[in-house]
Amino acid sequence: MTEQEQNQTFTDWLGQYKALLFKVVRAYAVPIMDQDDLLQEILIQVWHSIPTFKQQSSSTTWVYRIALNTAIKWSTKERKHTDARETIETVQPMLQEPSAQPDERISWLYDEIHQLNEVDRSLCLLFLDGFSYKEMATILGISESNIGVKINRIKKQLITKSKQPNHYGI
Amino acid sequence: MEFDELQKIWDVQTKEPMWVINETVLRNRVQAKTQQTFHITRISELLSIIVNAAAGSFVLAVNLAKSPANLAMYLLATWIFATALYVLVSRIRRLNGEKTFDRTVLGELAHAISMATYQVRLSRLLRWNMLPIVALTLLGVWEGGKSVWLLLGLIAFFALAYVASGWEHSIYAAKKRELEVLREKLTQ
Repeated sequence: MTEQEQNQTFTDWLGQYKALLFKVVRAYAVPIMDQDDLLQEILIQVWHSIPTFKQQSSSTTWVYRIALNTAIKWSTKERKHTDARETIETVQPMLQEPSAQPDERISWLYDEIHQLNEVDRSLCLLFLDGFSYKEMATILGISESNIGVKINRIKKQLITKSKQPNHYGI
Repeated sequence: MEFDELQKIWDVQTKEPMWVINETVLRNRVQAKTQQTFHITRISELLSIIVNAAAGSFVLAVNLAKSPANLAMYLLATWIFATALYVLVSRIRRLNGEKTFDRTVLGELAHAISMATYQVRLSRLLRWNMLPIVALTLLGVWEGGKSVWLLLGLIAFFALAYVASGWEHSIYAAKKRELEVLREKLTQ
């Protein structure tokens, strides 16, 4: 694969999977600086992965797998920021929320997802994005039955919490 | 609320991405990284020039004050002065080459990468430069009839300095890689 082809694939994937990447970033990182940091990490990993993509799986599955792998590893880092001199006051975020008011229900959903452990967060994201158990098993490397158990537990947990008061009408 | 309704809420954001990338901030970030690289380069160059010039002067002064003169120590002083001169010339050439980059984000990034490459090359060169300095120093001390313990102490000192310079070099190399990754992201 030439560098030009790699660039082209990366540009295509970035346009196609921007929403997917933002979801993963939002689920794993809370402060905007961490979100910036994680997005950069994921993009780097996606870039490096392109020559090894053999089209045995769909590109969506491939990108999701890399994003989740990176996010899971990143979330274990004790110190997130690469530069200790960076603070909220000195560094503006590269990512900006659009001017439209964010949907509070989505914010609530992300808060709940963030409270799950790293693996359950991945499962929850994949399930909400419509991946089958089989695809999730391929991405995460665990059995379909195990995924079924975990998904049921996550669904119950989210439904229970949504019925509690003060959850933005969810 | 049932899970299907949560699903509908979730799907809204797929159609409307929650964030946009602020290109102004991206540009500022590139500039900040650039400034950081230049600062490190400037300090590193000046330190190399000053330390080598001072060390060369010291060795020369000690040798001149002693009788009989030690040839290895003269050679050592010459080598150290030559190193300081080399760094000075490299610095002048680097400063002259700075005008060849344009003021776009990509141009500034290319500039920063050029500086980082220079820094990596300089740190590697100065690290290998330690070897003739060590050889001449040990030879000079040996010819001066100093004790074996002094020789061993010097060897230990230089070994530590060699390890530390390798660590320093790896920091510069990592910084360069970081800039290159940023450039890749920008050009894709």
